[in-house]
Amino acid sequence: MSDDEDRRRFEQVAIPHLDAAYNLARWLTRNDHDAQDVVQEALVRAARYIGGFRGEGARAWLLQIVRNTCYSWLKENRPVEKVALDDFDDAWQDIAAPSADEPPAVAMRKADRAQIDTAIASLPVAYREVLVLRELEDLSYNDIARIAGIPVGTVMSRLARARGLMRSALTPTARPQLRTVSRATQGGGTS
Amino acid sequence: MSTPHDDRPIDAFVDAELDLKSRLEMEQRLEDDPALRERVDELLRLKELVREHATYHAAPDALRRRLTASAVPLQTPSRTAAVAAVGAVGAAVQRWLGWRPLAASLSFAVVLAVAANLAWLRSSNDERLTNDVVASHVRSTLGEHLVDVASSDHHTVKPFLSSRLGFSPPVDELRIPGSVFLGGRVDYLDGRPVAALVYRQGEHVVNSFVWPSTAADNTPSLSTERGFLTAHWSQGGMNHWVISDVNRVEFQAVVQAVQVASGER
Repeated sequence: MSDDEDRRRFEQVAIPHLDAAYNLARWLTRNDHDAQDVVQEALVRAARYIGGFRGEGARAWLLQIVRNTCYSWLKENRPVEKVALDDFDDAWQDIAAPSADEPPAVAMRKADRAQIDTAIASLPVAYREVLVLRELEDLSYNDIARIAGIPVGTVMSRLARARGLMRSALTPTARPQLRTVSRATQGGGTS
Repeated sequence: MSTPHDDRPIDAFVDAELDLKSRLEMEQRLEDDPALRERVDELLRLKELVREHATYHAAPDALRRRLTASAVPLQTPSRTAAVAAVGAVGAAVQRWLGWRPLAASLSFAVVLAVAANLAWLRSSNDERLTNDVVASHVRSTLGEHLVDVASSDHHTVKPFLSSRLGFSPPVDELRIPGSVFLGGRVDYLDGRPVAALVYRQGEHVVNSFVWPSTAADNTPSLSTERGFLTAHWSQGGMNHWVISDVNRVEFQAVVQAVQVASGER
């Protein structure tokens, strides 16, 4: 009986957010096959923890599990991506703020899907996740903080930094190009 | 000129995440500082680009098939999970699972009976729902989380809500003077996710909650709760709760407009 109850609760809580789970995993792993593996693993974990779910914010609850599963997976399979991002958090103000004498980013408007996807895929993973959670999942800063396990202030600075990098990547001026991280083109660029 | 330290507030501003005081300050600064305005515009353009063009990877059918029905091995929550369980619901479920080997049906009945008594002691269902509606409205107006999707375009808001709720709420602007459609968010009422449509009526916020109902259509019943006016009714297979602190005359106009908007879906 309890398995049925748990099963039903799990399906009510988790399955409606499967798209969100896959979208996050897909952006973090930048690969369909790996994303499917991660989501499956995350849902097994979610099924195990369903008893601890408080009944509020199902999507954030599930995404937190997906996110942590992704990070374990990245750590195991792509250690090179685990950049120590806390260093950047102090430096965001140097980079994110464009000065007034820069040309207006009219060019940004012309960016198409492939360019946007590539620019997102090229972001360091900790910036990528906040941007994806904010712009594609439309989550509040509080939810993002909970999912990523960081303070709201860090959500803000990472978002500012992510957008600074996006802006540079999408503005074809003499601005320095985004540094390519390993397997960066595997992500949304071609899909 | 803006200093580097202004960056985070600017992002929070375009994300509608500033509290009221900071938002007003930022609006004041925007009036005085064209360079800042330019940067806000640029951020908004970037946001729009990303939201419009970035690929949203929906779960592939193969994955969905694998995960639904009986494919995910559902394990009984472990001891660790029991320790990790937070909150009353989690604790209750765990207790229940713990008893199960001894007398599953009996303990289940006990839990039900206790729950029923507690509910009776605390308040009737309706009162609790009213309290929840008021709490949700107050929370939303504290500037913390008014909308998930900020748009006055119901073609944007409706699909956003439908995709997250498993039902399609009627979404439209209110055709009365002074009404501005601010957007929608997903909220939690009556033990389920519901759609919250948010309007501004003059200086006042109006929350309009919608979720499916099996009740027959009826006429709005109005009441006053802790200084807020509320109205609730069933219409077209949906429960409606509207709450605001506008005056009574305006509130009646708002409720009528919500009824009209919901009838035109």
